[in-house]
Amino acid sequence: MNTAKSNGLSLCPKCHKLNSLQAEPQQCSRCHGVFYQRKRNSLQYTLAWNVAALLAFIPANLYPIMIVYQLGIPSDATILSGIGEFIDLGLYPIAIIIFTASIIVPLIKIIGLFVLVYKAHTGIRLKPNKHSKIYHILELLGPWSMLDVFVVALMVTVVELGFVTSVAAGPAINYFTITVIFTMFAANSFDPRLLWDKAADKNTVKQAQLPSVNLPATLPEEKGQK
Amino acid sequence: MDHKINPSFFVACPQCDALYDKPHLKQGQLAKCNHCGSTLIERKVDSIERSFHWSLAGLMLMFPAILLPLMGITFAGQFHQASLFDCILVLIDRGFFMIACLVFLFAIAVPIVRLAGALYISYCFKFNKLKPSLLNFFRAYHHLDNWAMLNVFLLAIVVSMYKLIDDTELSINLGLFAFVFWLICSTMSAAALDQDYIWDKLERAFSRSCANEHS
Repeated sequence: MNTAKSNGLSLCPKCHKLNSLQAEPQQCSRCHGVFYQRKRNSLQYTLAWNVAALLAFIPANLYPIMIVYQLGIPSDATILSGIGEFIDLGLYPIAIIIFTASIIVPLIKIIGLFVLVYKAHTGIRLKPNKHSKIYHILELLGPWSMLDVFVVALMVTVVELGFVTSVAAGPAINYFTITVIFTMFAANSFDPRLLWDKAADKNTVKQAQLPSVNLPATLPEEKGQK
Repeated sequence: MDHKINPSFFVACPQCDALYDKPHLKQGQLAKCNHCGSTLIERKVDSIERSFHWSLAGLMLMFPAILLPLMGITFAGQFHQASLFDCILVLIDRGFFMIACLVFLFAIAVPIVRLAGALYISYCFKFNKLKPSLLNFFRAYHHLDNWAMLNVFLLAIVVSMYKLIDDTELSINLGLFAFVFWLICSTMSAAALDQDYIWDKLERAFSRSCANEHS
């Protein structure tokens, strides 16, 4: 594959202008922004944000996210118990939406980014074609897990009838927003071009070793066929 | 390899770094990368006019969307309604500063700044008032790409309506319609803005001034 890196060029991440790389950091000739050929320490940053997001996700699920006061009596609801209530009431579509937005999406983002970092670092079973698509999906999913935070914010404001009923936000909401924002930072700091770089590196290594590796590799296959 | 290669005749994929000859596109065409399938360059139809009008409409709809009540509830004889702006006031009042900040940033401030930015850029292009400060301005505009969450907020409104609909009487107000139209306008104005075209034109307009600076 003919890449910009192999030609000594690099793309400005902001205005998408190709620059010939003279210094690192390079100043873009079009938008005058300063950038690096690849995002710097991309994998380390992604990993760090990811671990922080995972840690914040634990209290987010343990503490109550919403406290409903009815006639002065409080009743707590965590994320999971809120979903359980919807299932009890038979509102399955909403239960599924909330479950996807507040549990599945953050978990998928965190796990997916861990896998991508691992693959980009080691290059084991790396299919850059597939994995860059996965990264694209993870990036798009990002903001949708803010859903729960906005729902709680709306409930607090709309249901405000003094003593009769009122809703307060629980401590989990802060941890949950931290999780969501950190996963967005993690996704932003990952550089998908590293996947392609690693795959290209591996290919060149393979081709260099090919003559010596080729012969023994064909033998076991023939045995298996017989 | 050789460093005589002229970068302005080539284009690289932002996702996988593959290098291509720069394609010449007509309006409405787009070029995709062979390796990863992401979009390389897109020429949008009537970009400046469309984004100008969409963002103007969005900025006008902003006031009813924020100030008019989104929905109201009646429960045990009491009626209460809330707008997006009330939402922030109440949250601050009750001490939930973090959520108040988030709602303000992601549902009010970022969309407004994006709309105003799109309006300013398309205004400058429409009436041919290009200035060098637009370079910095448009670069800063890209920082906000990921952080507008009006669509998530709309889904949140729908979900909280479902939550409230069993044991209260729910009424939908004018603010919700204004909010939906505001969402449509801001999405369309962001989608209509042709970044490659704008950067190209800015580069051509200011390349001479840059050359003078360097020499």
